[in-house]
Amino acid sequence: MSKFIVRIMILPACALFVFSACAVRTPSAGGKASAPVITEYTPNISTQEYEKRYQAVYGKFTEQMAAEGNPADFVVDDGKDLFSKVQGSAGKSCASCHGANGEKLKGVAAMYPKYDPAIKGIDTVALQINRCRKDHMGAPELKYESDPQLALELYVKSLSNGVPIHVSIDGPAKPFYEAGKEYYYKRFGQFNFSCALCHVKYAGHMIRANLLSNNRHHTDHFPTYRLDWSGVGSLQKRFRGCNKNVRQEPLPFQSETYRNLELYLTYQGNGVPIQVPGFRM
Amino acid sequence: MKIGNVGAFSLALVLAALPAVVLAAGNAENGKKIVETKSLGNCVACHVIPNMEFPGDVGPDLVQSMQGFTEKDRGTVWQWVWDARVFDPDTIMPPFGPNKFMTKKDVDDVVEYLYSFKKNK
Ligand code: HEC
Ligand code: HEC
Repeated sequence: MSKFIVRIMILPACALFVFSACAVRTPSAGGKASAPVITEYTPNISTQEYEKRYQAVYGKFTEQMAAEGNPADFVVDDGKDLFSKVQGSAGKSCASCHGANGEKLKGVAAMYPKYDPAIKGIDTVALQINRCRKDHMGAPELKYESDPQLALELYVKSLSNGVPIHVSIDGPAKPFYEAGKEYYYKRFGQFNFSCALCHVKYAGHMIRANLLSNNRHHTDHFPTYRLDWSGVGSLQKRFRGCNKNVRQEPLPFQSETYRNLELYLTYQGNGVPIQVPGFRM
Repeated sequence: MKIGNVGAFSLALVLAALPAVVLAAGNAENGKKIVETKSLGNCVACHVIPNMEFPGDVGPDLVQSMQGFTEKDRGTVWQWVWDARVFDPDTIMPPFGPNKFMTKKDVDDVVEYLYSFKKNK
């Protein structure tokens, strides 16, 4: 059978398929608008195969960076200093409440992001640090992605190094998780891509010279040092980067959608130990 | 979302439009430029293309794919490039026509270039 005939036969099948295969669908039951039903993708290569490809593409680089050390280690030290520095009208430092070496925060970052009834939404480590400054220290909030903000976030996260991520999506967190998933699977921008298309369905494939990364390891190493940034950046900076790369409108840091997205993505990494600062190309 | 209905509708349109596009002859040189240039088609991001280093492997090798298409399939190939959602509603291939990456003439040119990959024309 020629390829042309095969294609002609496939066409009517495609028409049927159109009704069943879209990643995001809105059920019209009862005529009421309701949350879209998202059929999650199955990656089209196995985790083992992905890891083999990662090793082939980045193996040399990861060895080299392990030997040379991570420049972001100095940023962790800056964060530690800031942690015990008294700031604000209450005359307190973070250490006043959380222990001189942050001992009361060990393992805590592994549970973030999480639902917080006080804001009726998702709290991230970055947001929480600023709320502590404002509410408990009487100190100004730190500008997201500024040096001191990243340093403090990095230090607080480093107190959970080695602790497996265990975020909860139960109870009141659930709708925010679903909203994060919806954004992750939404097609938009001129390319009509979604995050999930590249990072789930085609994870492990090469898009030109870039390996499409597997999202199970997207949140364990942020804030991370990144060669391309020649510096440290947050997970949400990476969201903005991917948005821009594929010509989608990036959102503001710590916007509700990005916090929901962070919850969705962090949950995908449940069980993976936190390892900050990461080091990436 | 009503993607389903739109997909089926445009499928009908495409089938009606096929004979018209089959006849168009393009400029392979311009097609090559579109296929290889990052800011234009950038097909090499996902597909193997002749003489291009570090092609992606998200989509099929287009040199191989083209061996399976005959002259009669020009309309099908054209449609793949213009808007692949007609064949796979969940495709990763950007809708190059509807999302204004390319004009119809550009797609004619790309198809002309793709046909130059055929080994036994
Ligand atoms: C067209 C493909 C594509 C799309 C769509 C895409 N990304 Fe990415 N993303 C990449 C590539 C390629 C890399 C890694 C290479 C690099 O660093 O540029 C990456 C890297 C990342 C990383 C960092 C991974 C690490 O190990 O540090 C995160 C997090 C991420 N993407 C999240 C997202 C989110 C969230 C979206 C949607 C808003 C998205 N991506 C959309 C291609 C994509
Ligand atoms: C982001 C990835 C991506 C880009 C960019 C892309 N394609 Fe594709 N293409 C695919 C995938 C994946 C398929 C396999 C079919 C499907 O969509 O499921 C495909 C299928 C095809 C087919 C059908 C092949 C066959 O064997 O049936 C043709 C022809 C094609 N692409 C041409 C092009 C051209 C020309 C360009 C650039 C103008 C391009 N593609 C850009 C991912 C891409």
